[in-house]
Amino acid sequence: MRAQFRSRIRLVLLGIVVVALLIIVRLYFVQIINGADYSEKADRQFASGGSGLFDRGSIYFTRKDGTLISAATLVSGFLVAINPQTIRNPDDAYRAIARVASSSLSYDSFMAATKKTSRVYVEVAHHLSNEQGRALAAENIPGIQVLKERWRYYPGGTLASQTIGIVSYGSGDDLSGRTGLEKTYDNVLSRSGDLLYKNFFAQLFSNIGDLLVNSRDAREGDIITTIEPEVQTRLADDIAKVNKDYSSKESGGIIMDPSTGEIIAIAGYPTYDANNLQSVDPVVLSNPLVERVHEFGSIAKPLTMAAGLDAGVITPETTYKDTGCITVNKATICNWDLKARGVIPMKQVIIQSLNVGASWIATQLGQDRFRTYFMKLLGDKTGVDLPSEGRSLMSNLTKPQQVGYDTASFGQGIAVTPMQMLRAEGALANGGTMVVPHLVRAIRLNTGIERPLDWSTAVPVYSAAAARNTAAMMTEMVDTKLAGGKAKIPSMSVAAKTGTAQLTDGHGGYYKDRFFHSFVGFFPSYAPRFIILLYTNGPRGVEYASETLDSTFLDLVHFLIDYYAVPPDRGPSTEASGVTTQNP
Amino acid sequence: MSNILSLRYSARTIGYGAVGVLALTYIGLIAVVMSYAALTVEFTQSVRNDEAAVARLESQYLNTVSQISNTDYASVGYTKPLSKTFVTTKSATALR
Repeated sequence: MRAQFRSRIRLVLLGIVVVALLIIVRLYFVQIINGADYSEKADRQFASGGSGLFDRGSIYFTRKDGTLISAATLVSGFLVAINPQTIRNPDDAYRAIARVASSSLSYDSFMAATKKTSRVYVEVAHHLSNEQGRALAAENIPGIQVLKERWRYYPGGTLASQTIGIVSYGSGDDLSGRTGLEKTYDNVLSRSGDLLYKNFFAQLFSNIGDLLVNSRDAREGDIITTIEPEVQTRLADDIAKVNKDYSSKESGGIIMDPSTGEIIAIAGYPTYDANNLQSVDPVVLSNPLVERVHEFGSIAKPLTMAAGLDAGVITPETTYKDTGCITVNKATICNWDLKARGVIPMKQVIIQSLNVGASWIATQLGQDRFRTYFMKLLGDKTGVDLPSEGRSLMSNLTKPQQVGYDTASFGQGIAVTPMQMLRAEGALANGGTMVVPHLVRAIRLNTGIERPLDWSTAVPVYSAAAARNTAAMMTEMVDTKLAGGKAKIPSMSVAAKTGTAQLTDGHGGYYKDRFFHSFVGFFPSYAPRFIILLYTNGPRGVEYASETLDSTFLDLVHFLIDYYAVPPDRGPSTEASGVTTQNP
Repeated sequence: MSNILSLRYSARTIGYGAVGVLALTYIGLIAVVMSYAALTVEFTQSVRNDEAAVARLESQYLNTVSQISNTDYASVGYTKPLSKTFVTTKSATALR
């Protein structure tokens, strides 16, 4: 009896052990061998079978108060797929889909899809909202599948789109960043999957190292830009207006903090809506502000002036005899109005924008010193965190002909990107030191840790005194010349310089009637918080930059003063009434 | 006493029992993991839905900023000032 009982117990125990072993083996296969597949299924019960749901980090704008606003993020919704082999009544099916998603599907393309009877899965509509997707799914139409999907969404649409960039398919099946910050920071923004849930036990068996220290967690995250969305909107609107008003080929602008290199706004026109790329000209996908080079004209004169002051070949009090035109290497260089000024001090070179004066300074510097300054200022890439940065064209400064140096002194014969020019002019606003312009200030890792990026590399070019003296000349230009003197702001010093360059005709010469207008300025003049660079390429019906970009620059200056409540650095004395009235 | 124990629970029986308990424990842990996974998926999806809703609100905000920036003030009844007055700004601390 007892032996019989024991054998039964043993039999039961054996059964339990066998079942337990079977379960363990089965769980081993479920969790370790096929764990990834099951996690995928759990993640996306509605998702299509072809690929996983798209995942990618976000890109943020930073408002002036530190609030983060999405520049690029993900939204989820539904796609509609059909099985051409099982769909019964294509017309009814189309009407049902069109009822909830009328804008995303044409009748012809739907009917063409239904004729692909060799296939069992054809996607016919994308980006349906959750409400639309659920409404369609509820109809239970044979042959129609409603599946979850996620896609890249840019809340700003056109806002900074050339800088934020796009995500698209390349040669393979992976969606990745193709332009702009999406490309530069692709390794931070891209996701390697399995983030939705991590099976602790499976990882314990298979990869404990990855569980404890995950290398992806130290790399993947969101990126936080320095772009301020309201300033960006203002700049983009102003640039678009200039371009439309003067029917220019293209226009652009950048606003930067000259002491840190943080780019607060960057806009080009024409641009595109990043949420609707179907009819976009691929040319506008590139960022003209870092990829294309231009001859900027007279905004290079302050660079020449500061070089002369820094080298000690001139002082602010130095005078020269302006003859209106000079001949160098058989080429004639003239002032913009062809007029001679006689003996005048250096500041008039900036205030009156005199080509002869800039050439005179270049001659005083000598070719070697001039080349050293300009190559340091404009010869290298800026290091900005955008892809495909262009290289400057400075070959005139490698030749022995003096005319190349003279023309370079007033910004002709050398071509640089707007970003390079901004960085160089930034030295005048930053005590003679160039900084690295940049768009991303920090990476917010998946762990929640915010990792600031180091942009502290600085390149000293001028002495602080040379930069300050040049800024003083530019300030006097704004106070006395800009908009006929009406641009002067009694409570704020503003330094600026206009530039008008003739466009090259592609045959070694220049058009007489086609121009490139540029404008650079910073304020407050002696402790600048903002530097602004603007340009418009090929404006029609106007000759000088003072006609096209003055009002845009001043609009931005006043906007920034108000928006950031920049305190005055000069103005009505507190001893007097403290009130100055000005007719606009 | 020890004799009674050894009679009732042989080493083999204890071993079988332990295997059974471990198997049940493992099954329990699997249940916990599966529940954890389901909740994680649910919460993550919820977060993503919220993020998408926030993105649409942000889009509205940026559109509003753009509309304000593009407003032609003359068309809504404002006129250019006859004169601009610049006054000495008091320090922020004095205003508090």
